[in-house]
Amino acid sequence: MSVVDLLVPELKSNDAIGAHTLLLRDLFVEQGSMVRFVAEQPSSMDEDVIVLPAWKKPGDLIVLQHGIGSQLAAAVVRRQLPVVLNYHNITPPEFVEPWDAAQVAGLRWGRAQLHQLAPFSRRAVADSRYNANELVDAGFTDVRVAPVLWNTRENDDRQTDRDTPVVLFVGRVAANKCHHDLIAAIAALRPSHPTARLLVVGSAASGSYQRALDAYAKRLGVADRVDFVGAVDDATLASYLTRASVFLCLSEHEGFCVPVVEAMAAGIPVIAYDAAVLPETVAHAGIVLGNKSPLTVATAIARVLDDPTLRKHLIDRGRLRAEDFSLANSREANRAAYDGLVTG
Amino acid sequence: MSRADQAEGICLVACQAVTNANADDSQAYVNQVRAEIEAEAEARRRRDPELQRREREIERVWIEVAPPGAAGDQGELLLDRADRLATIDVDVPLGAKPGIRQLKGAIRKVAYWYLRYVSDQVNALNNVLTRLLRRFDERLSVLEDAAGIADGGGLLDPIPEPDGAVAELVASILGAQTGRTVVLGCGSGVLVRPLHDAGIAVHGVDVDALVILPGVRDGLDLRAVDPGAHLAEARPGEFGSIVAAGFVEDLGPASAQRIVEQSLVAASNGTVVIVTGDPAERGIVERELRAGRGLSPATWAYLFERTGAAVELVGTPDPRFRTLVVARLS
Repeated sequence: MSVVDLLVPELKSNDAIGAHTLLLRDLFVEQGSMVRFVAEQPSSMDEDVIVLPAWKKPGDLIVLQHGIGSQLAAAVVRRQLPVVLNYHNITPPEFVEPWDAAQVAGLRWGRAQLHQLAPFSRRAVADSRYNANELVDAGFTDVRVAPVLWNTRENDDRQTDRDTPVVLFVGRVAANKCHHDLIAAIAALRPSHPTARLLVVGSAASGSYQRALDAYAKRLGVADRVDFVGAVDDATLASYLTRASVFLCLSEHEGFCVPVVEAMAAGIPVIAYDAAVLPETVAHAGIVLGNKSPLTVATAIARVLDDPTLRKHLIDRGRLRAEDFSLANSREANRAAYDGLVTG
Repeated sequence: MSRADQAEGICLVACQAVTNANADDSQAYVNQVRAEIEAEAEARRRRDPELQRREREIERVWIEVAPPGAAGDQGELLLDRADRLATIDVDVPLGAKPGIRQLKGAIRKVAYWYLRYVSDQVNALNNVLTRLLRRFDERLSVLEDAAGIADGGGLLDPIPEPDGAVAELVASILGAQTGRTVVLGCGSGVLVRPLHDAGIAVHGVDVDALVILPGVRDGLDLRAVDPGAHLAEARPGEFGSIVAAGFVEDLGPASAQRIVEQSLVAASNGTVVIVTGDPAERGIVERELRAGRGLSPATWAYLFERTGAAVELVGTPDPRFRTLVVARLS
């Protein structure tokens, strides 16, 4: 029986990489492998985890989850292990630098490790073509694409309120996700749709950015129309998804963007900005804007709210697009991406 | 096609989930809606100065709220902010809760002389740097005015699009070219139409969202994007051919040279066609207001020949665009 070591800095079920790693484990187990988790610290979950210093003898296949600089990656580099890199992208440090200089080191470290890992990696698996291009630039030669694994939720229950449209965004409050542009859009939308609300779900990755956003909303006179609800459990998120009229994503940088797909699966029309992976993930199932000036975004929101033909089109196409990333399809893609690596 | 697809020796297993793009009528419909949205926003902006003012205000407030360097590129506002932040205030706001006021006072006195000493030096440096930035900014404005970048173009009518015969000629030149074609400065899509009709994968970009709208409604893939930025952001070998028109008549020599260099990257083995009028044939008003901008076909040919490209000048029946520059880069 082959032994597969899944290396993940911290194994948590409530973050995208953790959830993906758990589902990847299931895939290898179904193929007859024995899977071990290796992490930098013990898991709060009910899972056996080998903590890095105790990881002496590597398995037959080593898969490293890479989304930030980690001691795990450093250990792989030090021991020159033939690793398969599963790349989820790393936020470019320039987005973070003006807000949280302390976070920059981890991001730079992670990007530097990409170059260090490339020469002896067996293969790299990227969430998207966008991420795959970064791996090619970093020197990886066998690069495959397979989306993040996660349990998509079934949701046909829509409870939108035409009188109080809800513009939803889900994602950590971090500068690369450009929450300030969401607030700007709500401010520009106010004259035509004074009751529209912005609902932002996600924990604050940056306190200074969050404080600036609060001040911005206040200065623009829309603080009463903007709700930052922080991180929420699955049931609460599901209830927000049922109430949202539009999903708005104006991020400058995303590596895959699970929330966009979740919104499409939930029957919410998506408006996104043409940056990073977003045109690839949305793929003509939403409006992808070439610029995000407040008036342009507000015009787009108004159009989606007020044009029933467009709205239905986006909902229908969104559901089809989300189906591309269903767990069954994504498992198939991941199975193909890791094909031939496990023997015996 | 992405670099990952193109790079030699790479086994890119594009999974069904990722590649299952809905490339059908939906794409054309969504593109049309996007163009209508961008055009409507632009039209509202032009119609209603109050909306324009409000939009600027929204952007300005963010620059004030965000730390320096985190927001926008509005140099004047950033300089104002740099001026304000350049001075370090050593008078630490320790508050005035009763009971510990005396202790705070003692801390303040002990620390003050040293902070003063350090901050005087830092303030002096900051003041010099911000003065220097201001000088650079003023100098840049003078240069922009001299080059007519700042507003000269706004006084003139838009550059006309070539007639259908020129468009057919461009399509026949590029007919055998493989790979995607981009038309930079596409206007309403006159140059895009015959290429599209010939089944060539083509899209156009133009900075004016209103101008492209009729073409988009006609089913052409036209996008409201700055042509220079679109070319600069293109991946190596992304295009099989590049057609540049319209905006090229507002470029000075340095910008034109940049277009040549970027074309060599974006269409490394392809063909570039420059559709431009000859500045020597401009009327007096255009000559003066567009002074220093726009190169003749002969000069474009020279710039491409210097890179080793095979260049051909092709005559057209359109009196405004008598000569096309065709540069084969391979």
